[in-house]
Amino acid sequence: MAQPATTSPKPGAGTEVKDAIDHLRSSAQELHKAISDAAAKRSGATKADIAALTEKAKTVAQSAKASVKAEQGKVAKKLTDAVSHLEATQANLSQSAKATGTAFDTGVKKVLAEARASVQKVSEAVAEKRSAAAGNTK
Amino acid sequence: MRNFVAIVFDDSRKAYEGLHALWQLDDSADITVHGTGVVHRDGLGHIQVDTKDTHPALGTALGVGIGALLGALAGPAGAAIGAAGGAGIGAATGGTVGLIADLDRADTREEAADETGFVLGAGQSAVIADVSEDWTTPIDRAMRKLGGKIYRRARSDIRDDAWLSPDYPYGYYLYPYEYIPPAYSF
Repeated sequence: MAQPATTSPKPGAGTEVKDAIDHLRSSAQELHKAISDAAAKRSGATKADIAALTEKAKTVAQSAKASVKAEQGKVAKKLTDAVSHLEATQANLSQSAKATGTAFDTGVKKVLAEARASVQKVSEAVAEKRSAAAGNTK
Repeated sequence: MRNFVAIVFDDSRKAYEGLHALWQLDDSADITVHGTGVVHRDGLGHIQVDTKDTHPALGTALGVGIGALLGALAGPAGAAIGAAGGAGIGAATGGTVGLIADLDRADTREEAADETGFVLGAGQSAVIADVSEDWTTPIDRAMRKLGGKIYRRARSDIRDDAWLSPDYPYGYYLYPYEYIPPAYSF
């Protein structure tokens, strides 16, 4: 059973890390939000929506690739995974644009799953970096 | 450390203040939030998930996903119960009674989660979050200030409980960004 939390020791001051990965994460979150909003439209996402989202996914993927080069170790690994998911998001968006009916529904699910996975991976990279920064200040 | 956290509040408005405070802690890099959701138990005892409109194909999955997570937060027995989805199995463990499988609808609620009954009383709300935290104090301090009661389970423990699959996507259906329904906007 989950337990009421207890206090753990403070690892160190100055854990704030705000850099390119934080901005990349915001972009990936915005992408997921935009895809989620488009998918929820009562009349369905339009081709213009899909085209705009595909372009946005491409931009975020390019930013992620650039961030991979600037990082190393676990952070770079997480970002590499994020790039894969962003590229899959792009690919599934393109396929969804051509699909209808059940194939479109399946495509939307795949797009959302890949977009969410990309946010998760960038988020995990942010956590790794923050944790490392906190450790360095001990 | 990667944890799932449930923070229980006496009402929904407080829960959304808690949700906002959680994302503020992320913004200040005190913690990293990977996903959040808000659930509440109505007067009939049903747990409902607060969510925006979503694609029809995702509605049921969302309820089942968060139901599984709530079950997992209740412990090993709860994990099996929660992951059972809409199976309608009853169970009791350690004085906490679960499960009434029930699906409800409301204006901003797509599908209800399974009831695990472990922390949430009628009329109460809870923020459910998937977080990375190097120490527990930031969340504890912020949430207690708002009157919240905090429960934690390590993500690794929850994965060990999974009887369907160790890779069951607990938390998959939590929002990866702050989502506050218009009714609770500040």
